[in-house]
Amino acid sequence: MEAIQRLAAHVKSRMGDLIRHKKQGGKIVGYSPGGYLPEEIVLAAGAIPVCMARGGDHTLVELAGAYVCRWLDTFCRTQIAYGASGEDPYYNVLDLLAIPITDNHVRAVSDILSYHTGLDIFPFGVPHMKEQAASDYYLHGINRFKEKMENLCSVSITEQKLKQAIELCNRERELFRNISLLRQANPSPVKGSDFVALHHGSLVADKEFMVDVLEAVYRHFQENAPLRESAPRLLFTGSTLAIGDLRVLNLIEGYGGKVVIEEFAEGLRPYWENVSLDGDPMAALADAYFTRRVPPAWFRPGTERLDFLLKLAGDYTVDGVVWYHLLYRESYKTESYYFPRRLKDGPGIPMIVIESDYDASEAGQLSTRIETFMHTLRS
Amino acid sequence: MSEYYDTLLELCDFTPEEIDGQRPRIEMAIEKIGLDRHDFSRAEERVSSQHDIALRGVRRLLRAWLLELLDLVLSREEGKKVVYYGYPSIQGPGMTIKAASTIDLYVGCPDVVLCHTLGQIFDKLTPILETAEKGGLPPGHGLCSLQQVRSGALALGIVPVPDLVTGSSYFCDMGSKADELLHEIYGHPAIYVDGSMDSDWGAYPQLPSARIKYLGAQIDKLFATVKDLLGVEVTPQSSEKAMLISRRFFSGLGRLTKLMAADPMPVSGVESGLALNLAAASTGISMTEGAEAIELLCGEVAARVDTSEGIMEKGAPRILSFIQPFSDPSITHMMESAGLALSSSIVTVPPPKRDPSIQINTLGEERAEAALRDLYHSGYGLVKRFEDAARRMEVDGVLWGYLFNCRPLAQYSHLVKQWVEEKTGIPTLSLEMDIYDSRNYGPEALKTRVEAFAEMLRARKAA
Ligand code: SF4
Repeated sequence: MEAIQRLAAHVKSRMGDLIRHKKQGGKIVGYSPGGYLPEEIVLAAGAIPVCMARGGDHTLVELAGAYVCRWLDTFCRTQIAYGASGEDPYYNVLDLLAIPITDNHVRAVSDILSYHTGLDIFPFGVPHMKEQAASDYYLHGINRFKEKMENLCSVSITEQKLKQAIELCNRERELFRNISLLRQANPSPVKGSDFVALHHGSLVADKEFMVDVLEAVYRHFQENAPLRESAPRLLFTGSTLAIGDLRVLNLIEGYGGKVVIEEFAEGLRPYWENVSLDGDPMAALADAYFTRRVPPAWFRPGTERLDFLLKLAGDYTVDGVVWYHLLYRESYKTESYYFPRRLKDGPGIPMIVIESDYDASEAGQLSTRIETFMHTLRS
Repeated sequence: MSEYYDTLLELCDFTPEEIDGQRPRIEMAIEKIGLDRHDFSRAEERVSSQHDIALRGVRRLLRAWLLELLDLVLSREEGKKVVYYGYPSIQGPGMTIKAASTIDLYVGCPDVVLCHTLGQIFDKLTPILETAEKGGLPPGHGLCSLQQVRSGALALGIVPVPDLVTGSSYFCDMGSKADELLHEIYGHPAIYVDGSMDSDWGAYPQLPSARIKYLGAQIDKLFATVKDLLGVEVTPQSSEKAMLISRRFFSGLGRLTKLMAADPMPVSGVESGLALNLAAASTGISMTEGAEAIELLCGEVAARVDTSEGIMEKGAPRILSFIQPFSDPSITHMMESAGLALSSSIVTVPPPKRDPSIQINTLGEERAEAALRDLYHSGYGLVKRFEDAARRMEVDGVLWGYLFNCRPLAQYSHLVKQWVEEKTGIPTLSLEMDIYDSRNYGPEALKTRVEAFAEMLRARKAA
């Protein structure tokens, strides 16, 4: 599709844009994925947000061994290697790296990069509960971040600028939501890999450009009714779906499966909740990004997300669930033990659990397991 | 009439009269745990060979642990309400709840009790760990073995399903997740005491009031839940009562730490470990008996110091370590045999004093502030504490034995060593360990690196 190709070309030349922006005195703000950093604050300060969500490369995982032992989440080790090795162009171009601390794996990225690099790192806490004190703490964190951005960019982030940025980001979320909802139809008009490509592109793309692409994509899918198909419909969920980590998704599609809905803590942009334009914009950001957001597995307990997955499975009439987490992310590993029973007792659908360390040696086993799962769903 | 278990209990300073008095309890616990006469014979041999039982203080400590085991295992049969907390725990809330209670209440950390008894004394943890591995916490995934101990013991019916658990969500993701898993199976309520270790690198010991406020609110929430669920009301008076008990305990530990610094080292790190973890594991009899035992041990150790009696050669390199293995004393013995005097632990070196300008509004905030000043501050706080403690204790080396399956620690696998060596020049060994489950991290596996480190330190001292 032309719009997706346009996005790919934009992403390819994005580094050049960032360097030009910097040369003109602009600021680049990296942030770790997970959906807890309101990009609106960065945009309102006139800086460019870039999500540090690349992964999938085992070479980096090995390189991380110079900085930390191997018992940390694969994606987080990858970030440590990208950042600390000094060889990554994206990390090298940053004026600030904002890290919402969601769990200990992400905390490791923050601390290890703080020690090994000259990066200006801004960690702020994401509590693991939905209670008033927790919402207050999150709001306190993003208020500190706003102050940090004002100092970095020597600007005052006015309510008006913030609301403009919220409107733009709401439009992006709304388009993602609309495109996603089209997939409730059977057959779905959208390929899972196309939807993921849009997400991954959006994590680095210029926001206005991205909205333009999403509008074109949405129009295209509205106008192009899908053909009949018999592919098993899948819910694809897990800890991190990094930019560049497409191996599992490709195998699913290669064996004739169709991902119709995804839910990942990191690597996909949360799009279900818009930010209210009424009242105090900072409180509205905290409300949408923290309070109303379906949380990842490192919330205690993880019930809200598991209930949400059951709802998605119903709304998107899926035939099975592919649960994909990276090695040593204990919250996902633990839930993967008991969630299949809920699926069985609820919609009565099966689930396959896939774990990875981005290692090529996993390829054979991965391929066989996914092929078998698809076969089971068809029979 | 004596029974096969009497000898072990006598070794652990139980009197024959006490054993007779406790016989029904002892036998019920033995049956629940599934111990037999062979287990007791092996335990006698282990206690005699692994512990310094010439010291009555050590025998009293072992006794306190065994009493804790009885209280834990039989708590339900004895009509008690049961509250479990997670390890590591903020010092205080568990004890405060216990001190406030007018009902029969067991409050403790069952996994730590089981490591020190079924692990350290009986070497019977493996079946428990294997049970957990089949129940949602499989091996090979870096999942916490302490949580496996709890999960396996619940599955085997060794410990009762609690009325309430409280998780250390302010520090660790695994404990809370394991609580969730167990809740799925057994349905007991879990209260997560949450926090966020989000201080800037370089900001220790500064303590943002927002962190105190959030963690404080979480601890206050725990107290409120305990009131609702169990009818136990925590008050400033009960809190003060708990602190008095705790202060006695910790002043004994402080004295022991100082005595351990003598050259030659007067007693093994195995015994200081026995003393240290009592307070972390329980709020029951060990808090009173334990304090007495530590005081007794201090007296005996002081006598050794006076006569320059030690368990190692004079001049052995003195080491600041993290914490001694909970379940397998042979690891510490291996290190000491290699010539490392494990004289101090980061856990017993006091943190900085409270900043008087910090405003405290509730009991929860009181506890939160103390915890955040200590090991729950941040990663930077951890490396800084190592640096400061290594200087203060004037050690020859630092042994950073990080737990591979404990993310809050494993993430600093390399950093502690890099930081301490860079800032102090004190050689540091970063050693991957599992202090709860030594099946893959036993003394033989660790020996080569430990011996090489000891050799290097000796050469350095001699130069
Ligand atoms: S992972 Fe570490 S902090 Fe968490 S429960 Fe296990 S030992 Fe404790």
